Amino acid sequence: MPRYELCVILKAMQRPETAAVLRRTVETLLERGAVVRSLESLGERRLPYKISKHDSRHTHGGYFSVDFHASPKIVSELLDHLERDIDVLRPTLLKKDPELSQAQCCGAQKKKSKY
Amino acid sequence: MLRALSRSPAPVVSLLSPRAAVLVETVRGRKSRTDPKAKSKLGRIKTPPPVDPGEMVVLKQRYTEYSLILRALRLEFKEQMLRKKYEEEVGSVAEERAKREEEEHRSLMALNDAENLRMREIREQRMQQEAEAAELKKRDADILRQQELENYIKEKERHILLLQEEAKDFITPENLDQRIEEALDNPKNYNFAIDKEGRVVKRTAFQR
Repeated sequence: MPRYELCVILKAMQRPETAAVLRRTVETLLERGAVVRSLESLGERRLPYKISKHDSRHTHGGYFSVDFHASPKIVSELLDHLERDIDVLRPTLLKKDPELSQAQCCGAQKKKSKY
Repeated sequence: MLRALSRSPAPVVSLLSPRAAVLVETVRGRKSRTDPKAKSKLGRIKTPPPVDPGEMVVLKQRYTEYSLILRALRLEFKEQMLRKKYEEEVGSVAEERAKREEEEHRSLMALNDAENLRMREIREQRMQQEAEAAELKKRDADILRQQELENYIKEKERHILLLQEEAKDFITPENLDQRIEEALDNPKNYNFAIDKEGRVVKRTAFQR
């Protein structure tokens, strides 16, 4: 199964509410047949710019990242669901590239450049 | 033919009649049959040239003799030529030639066969060598392929084992709350700075 990464920016809320939102999200994933690897928090930070979403303007948000394996069929419905969630400011679903071995990597070799 | 010739102005007598022959064919000159005779020719009586009978007889004999001799000679020569031609094509000369040609042909065929045999030996040897080389290469390729397959399988097995190990850490409905609490307690920071020499700096300014 391909491996996805869901990076969400949640509204700046109190801890129990954030926990509830996260629980909601992960349960949605689980009920659609995903296998959740891990859940990381990148802290509550100031957003790089003001985001207007669900009838309000936000300056701070909580960054969270969920690592999971899922079938590609659920991707669009998942994004749809997350857009509708009022506590989620920006959902971003990315596919994780498969790791390349040394032999396959044909990029710049390890040598001293002139500049 | 006569009518056509009568229209041409060239002297016809020389064309038709042979040299010194008695027979002359009548030919119309410029005038046609219905034109009146010329005034200067009204009283003309045409007489043939006078012939001396004695002379005529002798001449006739001599001429027959002469033509007889000439014809005999001519036929003699013709016969010689035909005989030569016959000999050339069908007779002894032809046989000798055929024999020579057959011998030549046989010797050439023998040469050709010898050459063919020689080339065949060389070719067979070469093909044998090539077959052996190909066999060797195939065997090497087989071994390589086998090894690569084994490597691949080993790699996949390793991946599976790694995954099994990691699977113990996956989030399940039971440890969901616990994991959420853990995540909220430990905010991670993936930012870092790097310069051209490759030195990494993980400590960054904290943003509120």
